[in-house]
Amino acid sequence: MTATPPQTTVQTFTPTMLITWALLASLPLWIEKVGLYQYLGVEILIWATYALAFNLVLGHAGLPSFGHGAFFGIGAYAFGLAQFNIAANLWVCLLAALLAAALAGAVVALFISHRRGIYFSLMTIAFGQVFWFIAMKAHAITGGEDGLLKIARLPMDIGVAAFSTESNVALYYAVFAVFVAVSLGLWRLVHSPFGRVVKAIKQNEERARFVGYDVWAAKFATIVISAALSGLAGGLFAMAQRSAFPDVMSLHYSGYIVMMTLVGGGLVSYWGPVIGVVVFLLARDLIGAWTTSWMLWFGLLFVILVMFRPDGIAGFLESLRRKEPPAPAPVPASDAKGA
Amino acid sequence: MILNLMPHLVNGLTLGLLFALIALGFMLILGLMEQINLAHGSLFALGAYFAYAIATPRLPIPPDMLQAWAAVPLGWRYLAAVVLAPILVAPFGALIERLMRRTYGKDPLYGLLLTFGIAMVLEDLIRTVWGTRDYTLPVPRDLSGGFFFLDLIWSRYRFWAAAFAVAAIAAVWLIVERTRFGAMVKAGAHDTEIVQALGIDIGRLRTGVFIFGTMLAALAGVIMAPIWGIRPHMGVDAVVPAFLVIVLGGVGSFWGAVLAGLLVGMVVGLSGAYASEWSLLSMYLLLIAVVTFRARGLFGKKSALEA
Repeated sequence: MTATPPQTTVQTFTPTMLITWALLASLPLWIEKVGLYQYLGVEILIWATYALAFNLVLGHAGLPSFGHGAFFGIGAYAFGLAQFNIAANLWVCLLAALLAAALAGAVVALFISHRRGIYFSLMTIAFGQVFWFIAMKAHAITGGEDGLLKIARLPMDIGVAAFSTESNVALYYAVFAVFVAVSLGLWRLVHSPFGRVVKAIKQNEERARFVGYDVWAAKFATIVISAALSGLAGGLFAMAQRSAFPDVMSLHYSGYIVMMTLVGGGLVSYWGPVIGVVVFLLARDLIGAWTTSWMLWFGLLFVILVMFRPDGIAGFLESLRRKEPPAPAPVPASDAKGA
Repeated sequence: MILNLMPHLVNGLTLGLLFALIALGFMLILGLMEQINLAHGSLFALGAYFAYAIATPRLPIPPDMLQAWAAVPLGWRYLAAVVLAPILVAPFGALIERLMRRTYGKDPLYGLLLTFGIAMVLEDLIRTVWGTRDYTLPVPRDLSGGFFFLDLIWSRYRFWAAAFAVAAIAAVWLIVERTRFGAMVKAGAHDTEIVQALGIDIGRLRTGVFIFGTMLAALAGVIMAPIWGIRPHMGVDAVVPAFLVIVLGGVGSFWGAVLAGLLVGMVVGLSGAYASEWSLLSMYLLLIAVVTFRARGLFGKKSALEA
């Protein structure tokens, strides 16, 4: 990159970040008291990690991917295969998930980094279908439609001590550690000079190119990082489920992550995807409790949201907050976005 | 060698025509309105389910009327299904278009998301009404069964379906190129403001195009039902090849889409000769290979979707 973006100071920790972490850290203490169950917490954290990683592409770079399930699924399979064939060590398996998804992401990014808009979406659907199809048909490696079974929940070995992740609460805290690392890392990345280039590309790719940024390289890197972290979440998902299935790679699931991210407000807010994941999974369980066709109702909600509030729940909250006190001075864009 | 490949070539050709048929409605809405309708597959599935309800018959009407209808020969019931199913699905298309109006003029992404949501709703609606089991659409005896030719058995229905696809493609071409409606639609896609200035109601025109596309989707569903079977998932199975054919052929190109359909069918058919398990993968690889070198597909024109 030839030009240097303007430097602005960004807080390492924000109140919203600390509140989110505190809420999630205390979740196992109260989730059963509100009538839910511990495993839901694990699911929320894994999907939230995935959604934050996905939003790097959708919300921050403005690249609507409809094939991200492939990276999540590849991470899940890589986790299982590494466990069976390389070493039953949590770090080795998570690294395998990360690297396998990053590699797949790099291959896809080679083909689509010069695309944008709807053509980008259509190409990601095609690639997503390719990976899904391979997962379905390569019985010898992935177990086909039956999936990869008997994946163990590996202990978290941190040198001085090793923690079992067998129980859902223990697994929750292991996943929480990854979630904190990923959410902090992505926060730093989004507010780094690189993140500002990505934002510039989202606003106007042509202009970013004329200013002198290497647009292709920035998009390539964004896709690879997003894919790698999605794969990491997929690895955790394989561990949580003790298995890996091709379902999560299907067009449906690739669409679900788009829904979650958008419903929460990923287009306007960093933490929006986390809200979206919570709403999505709660809707699945609560609506699913009284009807088997919960997607019918959630889909309707989603349709209404896209029509009237495409900036999602976070955008709605933001507009409420902005209305109450008539803002005396315009807030710098980076701070407003960070909330 | 050639003789061994013959059945695969013929299969590929018929399959290609059917892919083109599936893509027709999708193409009209995308090419003329610059809107991606991911619910296309669900409308396709609805067409098949409605046809099943009419032809079997499993209609929600009083028992004595149903009995009278069941006594009608299958040939007539089948014909009624082909004609009525698209008409019954049309209101769904009108409703989708009504909902989509809010996304006109915005980033095409919103239309894509909206129709994805609608596709999810329709798929679950189908599951709620008909359950998850598979159904088979009965076909009149004259159209079904097989016949011998060159020491091989050929499915009669496939040829009927392919012939039907050819007729439908020709009819759509005539409507778009040779009627006043087609001229208005093409002009509307080209320059909305001028068309409005000429006194044409662009809102009604869009509704008309959308309903037309919806009926074509449903019709494709009725024709494909005996080949693919009727199940909730058939919507996704149809919408993916449909978009693939359009992108491959190039957005906005009628004959590009038809040619791409044939190409995809041939590739799937021929790869089926060597690795039947993997034959469907070949169409995605074909798309990626072509679009890597020709960004707008084979015959694509510049469109708003590239912004």
